[in-house]
Amino acid sequence: MLKIDPTDVVPIWKQIEDGVSSLIAAGALRPGEAVASVRELARLLQINPLTVQKAYRRLIDLGILEVQRGAGTFVATAPPVAAADERSRKLREAADRFVEQARNLRASKDECLSLLSAAWPAEAAQVEEEI
Amino acid sequence: MNANDELEAPSPALEVRSLTIRYGDREVLAGAGLTVGPGEVHALLGRNGSGKTSLVRCLLGQQRPADGKVLLFGQDVARRRARLMDRVGVTPEEPNAPAAWSSRSLADFYRPLYPRWRDRFFFDRLAHWGIDLARPFGQLSRGQKSLVQLALALAAEPELLILDDPTLGLDAVARQTVIRELIGELAERPMAVLLTSHDFAGIESLATHVSLLHDGRLQLQEEVETLRSRFRLLRFQLPDGCQAAALLAPLRPLEVRSFGRAIEALVGRWDEEEGRALAARCGERSFAASQPSLENIFIAMTTGEL
Repeated sequence: MLKIDPTDVVPIWKQIEDGVSSLIAAGALRPGEAVASVRELARLLQINPLTVQKAYRRLIDLGILEVQRGAGTFVATAPPVAAADERSRKLREAADRFVEQARNLRASKDECLSLLSAAWPAEAAQVEEEI
Repeated sequence: MNANDELEAPSPALEVRSLTIRYGDREVLAGAGLTVGPGEVHALLGRNGSGKTSLVRCLLGQQRPADGKVLLFGQDVARRRARLMDRVGVTPEEPNAPAAWSSRSLADFYRPLYPRWRDRFFFDRLAHWGIDLARPFGQLSRGQKSLVQLALALAAEPELLILDDPTLGLDAVARQTVIRELIGELAERPMAVLLTSHDFAGIESLATHVSLLHDGRLQLQEEVETLRSRFRLLRFQLPDGCQAAALLAPLRPLEVRSFGRAIEALVGRWDEEEGRALAARCGERSFAASQPSLENIFIAMTTGEL
């Protein structure tokens, strides 16, 4: 689900852009799938439609979304590699944050690794095995 | 409009040029400019008595400015007020419809006045909010009164909507309803909105532009996004032998508070590089930069003269 946080230092349009990219990277939005219209998303997130428009404009320019006249806005059938890069960048950033916090708290690498596996939800592990 | 006008870019819905408002010797506003285009929501902030209402009255042609001009859709409001008002929706700060009139009779009154009046919209909105059409205006709650006035303004399908503190005196649910309604309407059509408000949290996600009427000047006057990018609330530990003022000077601190060596500062010219340098000097671990709310910024810019 797309969420925005007005108290975040990241501009709201950028949060939407990142959010849509992440949903695509995570497979929650698939190539060719329709995304919410500007007006739907503005209503849903309770933000000015111009802000949503700006995010969509950029996603379209980046080739991540595409407009089909009269039909609406869709995830591009061939989304650029950027979406995949985005996924690994996000993961790396999350890892960096975790490590920084762990080091501040003087945690060892082994402690962190076991925390990570303990935190991993059971059903996610199953999906992994199926793949 | 003559033939040449059509070739040029469309005029903004609202344009204020070097507007000066004076009461006797007191200058409420000195040479202010302001533009609001379609789809934009301009939040006009200011403390009570700063002159917001006078400015709104000038925008509507209800008050003559000492100097300057107000253009609505490219035309001088002082000359063509009656005609231009067909395209402007207004909600007053105090709901002012006649107390004895029902919402149905208000619609009967408005219908012939506005060429684009939408009956269906008006009745749908009131039904949606559970407001009885037959109930006299004076017997509605404060929140219901505001919503009826908003529906009246929107049903006329204005190209410019001027809202004087639309959420004043409303409870949280009614405030949320007003904001939702505005976003819903903006999603349907690109009307220009100018609103005055004290409800910072409500307008933070709605406003595209913001200005602050203070000391007779329109300050800030910028896109909310730019505003958000240049203000930061910093928290850090002051390194030994350093002065907070000197450390913060390049970032333009508006407000600095200290508690021992712990510093909290609101800065108005945030810069990633300067910020990194400051973080390095104070120790990364003690340093945090967060997004101040519009309310924090407003308070920092207007206090000092309580």
